[in-house]
Amino acid sequence: MNDVNVKISGNLATVSLCGRIDSNNAHDVETKIMSAIEGKTYLSVVLDLDKLEYISSAGLRVILRIKKNNSDLKLINVCTEVYDILEMTGFTEMMPVEKAYRVVSVDGCEEIGRGANGTIYRIDKDNVVKVYNNADALADIQHEREVAKLALILGIPTAISYDVVRVGESYGSVFELLDAKSFSKILSCEPEKFDWCVKEYVAMLKKIHSTLVPAGKLPDMRETVVSWARFMLDYLPKESGEKLLALVEAVPHDDHMIHGDYHTKNLELQNDEVLLIDMDTLAVGHPIFELASMYNAFIGYSESDHEIIKKFQGFDFETGSAFWRASLAAYLGTKDERKIRAVEDKARVIGYTRMIRRSIRRGGLETEKGKAEIELWKNELIELLSRTDTLLFSRNELEIEATNENLPMVLEFIEEHLDEIGCSPRIKMQISVAAEEIYVNIAHYAYNPDVGKATVRVEVTDKPLTVTITFIDNGKPFDPTKKVDPDVTLSADERDIGGLGIFMTKKIMDDVKYEYVDGSNILTLKKDIK
Amino acid sequence: MLNISQSKSDTALTVALEGRLDTTTAPQLESELKGALDGVTDLTLDLTALEYVSSAGLRVILSAQKIMNAQGKMKLTGVSEAVMEIFEVTGFADILTIE
Repeated sequence: MNDVNVKISGNLATVSLCGRIDSNNAHDVETKIMSAIEGKTYLSVVLDLDKLEYISSAGLRVILRIKKNNSDLKLINVCTEVYDILEMTGFTEMMPVEKAYRVVSVDGCEEIGRGANGTIYRIDKDNVVKVYNNADALADIQHEREVAKLALILGIPTAISYDVVRVGESYGSVFELLDAKSFSKILSCEPEKFDWCVKEYVAMLKKIHSTLVPAGKLPDMRETVVSWARFMLDYLPKESGEKLLALVEAVPHDDHMIHGDYHTKNLELQNDEVLLIDMDTLAVGHPIFELASMYNAFIGYSESDHEIIKKFQGFDFETGSAFWRASLAAYLGTKDERKIRAVEDKARVIGYTRMIRRSIRRGGLETEKGKAEIELWKNELIELLSRTDTLLFSRNELEIEATNENLPMVLEFIEEHLDEIGCSPRIKMQISVAAEEIYVNIAHYAYNPDVGKATVRVEVTDKPLTVTITFIDNGKPFDPTKKVDPDVTLSADERDIGGLGIFMTKKIMDDVKYEYVDGSNILTLKKDIK
Repeated sequence: MLNISQSKSDTALTVALEGRLDTTTAPQLESELKGALDGVTDLTLDLTALEYVSSAGLRVILSAQKIMNAQGKMKLTGVSEAVMEIFEVTGFADILTIE
């Protein structure tokens, strides 16, 4: 059997092996290879294992001796069985080993997702394949696998690819995704689930944005956006261009995760679990960068041609706009139209910047249609820049572990909102004292002896000026308003040490309301500010 | 953040508080006072630099008042308008000596 074939061209020796290599033939195989390459240490050796079905430890020793002779050794076209042996024995750590790729066809398969770098097809009941646009995508695939693994470890539910395949001239990565349905499909086919979709979509968004990423593990979105702003210097009036760059540079570095392409095709419902997919754009950065790409996905890209979103998401422009608005409101924790619009405008600043740059780089300035579109976006951007002083915003909602240690964070969060409306130190202290009571109650009793989450929401309205603070926890049902008031007319010696907190809260605030809804304690404090 | 400084002359003790007296800092004041009040007949709490007090802080102040009722007297100085309002809401204004 002709089981060894050595071809030398220039500095490259290609050695093809086939069949089995075990103790019966290992010696012969080694002799044949060595007679061709022995002493020629300058050769790069590639072992093509396309036809190799099995290798025993005798065969592995042959590989080690080749490696000793020619340190520049690579194994290619390795079938799964042989790859497993190489991985188990640590060979994949010692030298480059490239797998042979399974070939998969996506002809007639349903397209279930689409992102910046590729398209996702369902290949059978349990599996999907993401086909990359870039023909030379192995590095991208590796990157996506790495970041998806990282996200999973950090607590984000996602699917991780288990195989790399060839799809025509492209590469694809295969995921297990059973019976999943994208949020785009749910919104298109079951409009009655709109509110549910908003709730789940925003819950996942908050989860992503509250995930701290170890330094250096993901690219920094701020750097990317700074480079977009620099690009724009050549295309905007001097003053606008410089302001754009200054605004982006003023956004502080942030080590929290952002998805980078968070639209409804990248969120999947599998059984009862919501999964995030298409992880290759994962980065760290301020949430305003995420909101910008969300704005573009739901509105920006389809603003001048409403058919675009239909083609891409399956639902119409009105549904997309309504979904964006409702999600932004829920994310910010406010119903205040002015506040929502203000944050939307900040997102649009980066959104238009991105679209203009993208269009120019794709030759947009060379077509009439492209030119008109760029002009339109540019005018919007210049107008927005003229009235934007910062890209930063704060959410009206804070979700934290309910512990004593987090009290300063809660009070700071509340006081920030009170400062916004120019609250006097007197009123500020009273509201903080009331808020502290409720929060500390949750920290001490709601989940005792465990620790759980608390959500704090601050809503400010003017005319009349009122502050509403809502505390939500999922701990034991407990109505603090039921507590009996202490007798505050007693002398110091007669008085109990405790029992003051809730009483003070009730005295300070104009309205204290308790509800227990769907497993949540909801306590609402309201104060009119004269 | 709460900074506590003590100055003592004979049996008179002055404890000055600076910063916030809340759930997270009240235990600090409580343990500081625990050993310090032995033999003290005159306790002054100087609240000039106190920015914030919540019920957890009030509890420590009330405990101190109870101890001092048994062994001497206690007074509060430098009470800001905002802190005073908290004392008033809780009836503390009537049971404490505030200068």
